[in-house]
Amino acid sequence: MSWSVLDEEGFSRCCRLLVQQSQSLRDGWSWEPGQGSAEGYLRKTTLRTAAFTSRPEREPEGSGAAPEQHTAPGRAEEPSQSDLAAPAASGDADDLTGAEDDGADEDDWVCRAPAESSSRVLQYEYHVLYSCSYSVPVLYFRAFTLEGRSLSLDEVWSCVPPQYRARLQQSPWNTITQQEHPLLGQPFFLVHPCRTDELMRPVMQAAQQQLRWVNYVVTWLSMVGPLVGLEMPLSYAALSPQSPTATAAEQEPSEA
Amino acid sequence: FPVLMTVVGAGCSVNVSVYDFLQPKLQFAPFSSALEAGFWHQLTQKKLNEYRLDESPKCVKGYYYNGESVGLPTRLTLEFSALDVDVATPARCCPAVGTLYNTNTLDAFKTTDKKALLEKEANEIWDAIQSGAALKDPSILCKFILLTFADLKKYHFYYWFCFPALCFSEGIKILQQPSGLEKVFSAKQITALQEAYDGLCVSRGTTAVPYFLMKYTDDSVQMALLGDWDSFFTDTKKVTVGVYDPCTLSQHPGWPLRNLLVLLAHRWGSKLDTVDVLCFRDRTLQGSRSIQHSLIFQVKLPELPLNSGMCPKSVGWEKNPKGAMGPRMVNLSECMDPKRLAESSVDLNLKLMRWRLVPSLDLDKVVNTKCLLLGAGTLGCNVARTLMGWGVRHITFVDNAKISYSNPVRQPLYEFEDCLGGGKSKAMAAVDRLTKIFPGVNAEGYNMSIPMPGHPVNFSQATLSQAQRDVEQLERLIAEHDVVFLLMDTRESRWLPTVIAASKRKLVVNAALGFDTFVVMRHGLKKPPANHNVSEAADSSPSLPSVPGSSLFSNIPGHKLGCYFCNDVVAPGDSTRDRTLDQQCTVSRPGLAMIAGALAVEMMVSILQHSEGGYAVASSSDDRMNEPPTSLGLVPHQIRGFLSRFDNVLPASLAFDKCTACSPIVLDHYEREGFHFLSKVFNSSHSFLEDLTGLTLLHQETQAAEVKHTRTHTHTHTHTH
Repeated sequence: MSWSVLDEEGFSRCCRLLVQQSQSLRDGWSWEPGQGSAEGYLRKTTLRTAAFTSRPEREPEGSGAAPEQHTAPGRAEEPSQSDLAAPAASGDADDLTGAEDDGADEDDWVCRAPAESSSRVLQYEYHVLYSCSYSVPVLYFRAFTLEGRSLSLDEVWSCVPPQYRARLQQSPWNTITQQEHPLLGQPFFLVHPCRTDELMRPVMQAAQQQLRWVNYVVTWLSMVGPLVGLEMPLSYAALSPQSPTATAAEQEPSEA
Repeated sequence: FPVLMTVVGAGCSVNVSVYDFLQPKLQFAPFSSALEAGFWHQLTQKKLNEYRLDESPKCVKGYYYNGESVGLPTRLTLEFSALDVDVATPARCCPAVGTLYNTNTLDAFKTTDKKALLEKEANEIWDAIQSGAALKDPSILCKFILLTFADLKKYHFYYWFCFPALCFSEGIKILQQPSGLEKVFSAKQITALQEAYDGLCVSRGTTAVPYFLMKYTDDSVQMALLGDWDSFFTDTKKVTVGVYDPCTLSQHPGWPLRNLLVLLAHRWGSKLDTVDVLCFRDRTLQGSRSIQHSLIFQVKLPELPLNSGMCPKSVGWEKNPKGAMGPRMVNLSECMDPKRLAESSVDLNLKLMRWRLVPSLDLDKVVNTKCLLLGAGTLGCNVARTLMGWGVRHITFVDNAKISYSNPVRQPLYEFEDCLGGGKSKAMAAVDRLTKIFPGVNAEGYNMSIPMPGHPVNFSQATLSQAQRDVEQLERLIAEHDVVFLLMDTRESRWLPTVIAASKRKLVVNAALGFDTFVVMRHGLKKPPANHNVSEAADSSPSLPSVPGSSLFSNIPGHKLGCYFCNDVVAPGDSTRDRTLDQQCTVSRPGLAMIAGALAVEMMVSILQHSEGGYAVASSSDDRMNEPPTSLGLVPHQIRGFLSRFDNVLPASLAFDKCTACSPIVLDHYEREGFHFLSKVFNSSHSFLEDLTGLTLLHQETQAAEVKHTRTHTHTHTHTH
């Protein structure tokens, strides 16, 4: 059987390994068992500031310390910024005047927050599930504000730096759609799995020819993740073990 | 540093208050509440299925993390699982337990006594400090309150967090300014500190410790839990406490330190002059771990008021995004309202087609097209469903029939129940069903008749004025829509909308069924009326081809194409004679309406994708091998299908200058005389239109040629296939 085909057992083996590596790399992946079923999913959440105010602004100090966590400033051409800034979407409950009187003792020992405002912070949640019908892993994700409001796909795209956006939207991975999460029943975006096999096959076949074991899920995530802001540190490759299940000899082509 | 020297000098100064004023006081970065999208989904489920009207406080669990990048806020996160108390805290995060007060009404949310809630929680923290319970379980120091109201009709969620902090009556003096660990500790000490912390975690069987005690030398670091104070610190000359610090600011500790300092002051304040604080921060970037950005500083603990262990004053309600003391509201209708979800899913699914297969597809053109469906029977139902599939939002039905028992099996918008009690109006029932299928649709129904040639309306003044109203209504509807679908079951009912739409230059898509044949066609779209004086009149009335040949039927521009009536040499109005097979709508193979209805919509979409729209040159069967004119392919004039052969052909034909519906003379009379002309058509026999257009003369002149002529029009392109 070709290595490019990933069965459910292979998927969970790849996931177990990924979680192990993630633990040593402190990369934040965990395995979440589905309720009352053998199924489960990989999960990771990240936090990043996103320039989604209406005017281009410099990021607060420190964006240089973790550049990969920050989207570039200067995005005057965004189509959907106004949606994000719309007061109706979320924010303070202005209609609740009178609610603010009690419990509002002034507190002198609170530091004033720096220019950075929490409304520009986005939480990203990534899930990796196995698709039986496509026999490939599927990346589900959603992005939401600190209030827990999920972003629309246009808003998600608008948070991708413009210089990457054009390239990403032309890439073969550009097939993002919306679906209910199969285990949680909540709306998620997903990168559609219909071309995953096509894109992974050459990679897996090359690895097979070189008698090299490749973690399908790690390799695939490193390709598909950046599209939706998910980075896989190169260290995963450095940690990559030999085959966890079979020695190279077992996998050798018969003519060798 | 000048500040620091002032502090040292101030210790024995007489004028303390002035120096107090100058001395820096420790300030804390408050928690920012952070809710995952799943939390609101889960709260909604709990409210609907479990809490219902129960307002009693519930336990809720959050966590905080000390590894965020610089610039990110000090978060206290509630995940979707926050309402399950026994759920595990994520690795390397510290738990915080809270009390959820979910009110049933907005009013209750507003009038809840926030001060009392805060004091109650603060008292519990204070009791735990006094009893020593907080030493055993220091997560009590990070208790929080969440007050919510979930408006599940609008999917608006009101909420207000409180992170109670007990207050000293005076500020906490900083004796040594916060500085990065790397500036104070050697590399060796930092490594030892990291190992000591990891060792403490392992010994506790956990991945994060919220508070710890620390002793260090030049080359070693020892740690212990808060509860082991007495055995760990044999003297109190130098005491260092560690706090797992979620703050990322370089000069300030996060909130969790605040209640710890109160605890220290209460239990050991009398023995301690100063305390060293390590704000332990532990982040990993690209697989590489670092703790050297942790903060270390020294403070002087203020004295707590000695009066009988009264709970100190407390603060902690979170400010809203405007920086004011007040609740927050989040509108989740877009991600929780099923109707909104259906809309965005439908749109995204259509976009997939563009992203994946047809990059130049202009979906907006399709989605924003207003479609008028004349007829809500087998064809109308299938056309409507296919339009919905394309995301078309604006669909209007016109039909005067009621749903009968034979309808539901062939007309997919109706059910058995719709037939009872005489049957519902088709137009109205179709609207109801579309709205059930997709609430985002903007559907309207008109239960009305369309006046027909040869069907007199002049029985009384009442019938005449009713006919006039029907005509006006139809004129208004056609004017308000972009595409008119002719989907009726008689030929003569198509006449009036054909005339009106031709006059108003609206795109017409016509579908008609025989027993096992069908025709789907677009009507020729006349050039705009502005310049239809001399040149136009000549242009739009081509003479009949004297020598039939396929070349005459290739590359016909849209404005020269014929309408449904152009191929006919009899005027509509006679419903018993001269019916060709494809006009006998009542008896057809059941799959035919689905095929023809779907093709009618797909033809419309292809026309819309053409840069010239309804003026596009007609593709014919000959073009099947050529470069297609649109991203979706050909734009034919007609699709004629023969189910017996499972075969379609794509004929094209010219507009007929003696057409009883779209010829210049008919349009001219309609535009000049309006209803007066129409009523003559309705009330007269078919010879009226035939006389007007010259068909009568043609009949007389070429009685013999009539058959030949008909054969030319209907069969020429069968040959080209």
